[in-house]
Amino acid sequence: MPSGGFRVLHLVRPFLSILPEVQTADRKVPFREKVLYTVISLFIFLVCSQLPLYGIHSATGADPFYWMRVILASNRGTVMELGITPLVTSGLVMQLLAGSKIIEVDNSVREDRELLNGAQKLLGVLITIGEAVAYVLSGMYGDITDLGAGNAILIIVQLFFAGIIVICLDELLQKGYGLGSGISLFIATNICESIIWKAFSPTTINSGRGAEFEGAVIALFHLLITRTDKVRALREAFYRQNLPNVTNLLATVLVFLIVIYFQGFRVVLPVRSKNARGQQGSYPIKLFYTSNMPIILQSALVSNLYFISQLLYRKYSGNFLVNMLGKWKESEYSSSGQSIPVGGLVYYITPPSSLAEMAANPFHALFYLTFMLTACALFSKTWIEVSGSSARDVAKQLKEQQMVMPGHRESNLQKELNRYIPTAAAFGGMCIGALTVMADFMGAIGSGTGILLAVTIIYQYFETFEKERASELGFFGF
Amino acid sequence: MVARTGDPPRGSAAAAGLRRRRMSGAGAGAGAGSSSGGNMLRFYTDDAPGLKITPTVVLVMSLGFIGFVTALHVIGKLYHYRAGV
Repeated sequence: MPSGGFRVLHLVRPFLSILPEVQTADRKVPFREKVLYTVISLFIFLVCSQLPLYGIHSATGADPFYWMRVILASNRGTVMELGITPLVTSGLVMQLLAGSKIIEVDNSVREDRELLNGAQKLLGVLITIGEAVAYVLSGMYGDITDLGAGNAILIIVQLFFAGIIVICLDELLQKGYGLGSGISLFIATNICESIIWKAFSPTTINSGRGAEFEGAVIALFHLLITRTDKVRALREAFYRQNLPNVTNLLATVLVFLIVIYFQGFRVVLPVRSKNARGQQGSYPIKLFYTSNMPIILQSALVSNLYFISQLLYRKYSGNFLVNMLGKWKESEYSSSGQSIPVGGLVYYITPPSSLAEMAANPFHALFYLTFMLTACALFSKTWIEVSGSSARDVAKQLKEQQMVMPGHRESNLQKELNRYIPTAAAFGGMCIGALTVMADFMGAIGSGTGILLAVTIIYQYFETFEKERASELGFFGF
Repeated sequence: MVARTGDPPRGSAAAAGLRRRRMSGAGAGAGAGSSSGGNMLRFYTDDAPGLKITPTVVLVMSLGFIGFVTALHVIGKLYHYRAGV
């Protein structure tokens, strides 16, 4: 145990006693109960993301988070305005801090892990407060003088409590009462909701060519039935620009299938138990070793960049450095006044909106591709170190379970694992990045990042379900 | 009071919250009980700091919050109605 010297982590200690912490399940929670907890949490989340905030005047101004709404599971003007942003951001920050050794963490010491957990939660709470205050002060809900001090405080309190609830729900699900984690559950729900909505939305929008349905499938039938020129109707349904079209929908389905297909890629290392003769096992190393973690981290990074860049651009649009970071313009199509990046760094890390735009500015497409691949590979590589799934950790874990690889000496285990794990992490991260880019280029609904997240999360849930079912059956069998 | 913390023994993450999901995902396919081992070995007996709350409290708290915001809306409407007419 490292002693002496000043340690940043210890600053957290005084706050630990006031942070809410969900008790760990001290018994095995049955599968049905887990499903129940998960469903109730999801229900609370969904209600919260429809419940409007009390005291806001308008929620129509420019929306700096428009791009990230779906991924961050947040909804404009509702109690879930912040969504999981604080959670993801605090996770990202702590990961970077620990990964870069700015804060020293000895993972074998329980106290350190506890402090780290506490620090992450504390940071989450602080970010919640900070963002809530920033939202209100920046006039996102109407001018602060119109709102009045009372209402402003009420809004902050609401956002704060919503943040605490999200943190608690996430912890509740993770500590063994539910399936998966709050973050993934909420993200997946939000993305699926938006895909279903864009496919079947019955809202009509008039954009100059008469009333059109927003949902792609409904619009297809509507156009086919009402138009006399069926070929043109088909073409319109497939290629209309400003609303979700059938091509987008097909691209979404295609990406979904491709990702599921890739999930199955793995290297299986045979392992064998040392004390129980004949007990064979296998340790699979998946291509997507870090699963969707690289994209979650990447999108957290990008969304924060967007937010900062937009704030800066609104205040100091003349500044050279600010313009280097990003230039923003109001989108022509939307009525909600969302801005889109048109220049600077943030423009180049935004996916090109269409094939035509790609052709017009190939450098943009190339830069975006490079950025995505590099970021995903790097995040994936750091993630295995921080999350305790590096070759060293896996070797230790296998050793604890008295597992050896046949044909290799025990000391060789780590070296053998080292041949696969870092490669799988980096290459898998890159593949995830490439798939994201592909989905973006094909115009999949809900952005490439969103789709990738949704598919990987759903796949994880599928696996969890299978495992839970298997273990339940095992219990009955004995 | 006997408290068992939720730290998974093999974990070593900064983002403990995010980590667990990754484990449940990528580690799900780990064969021959390699994913569940060790968990029962760690049984901490000292008090973990923090405001311990049970899952029921979390759920009730969330519902209470939803109720509170709804009540705010209702009261706000009533108040406006009174003041406006």
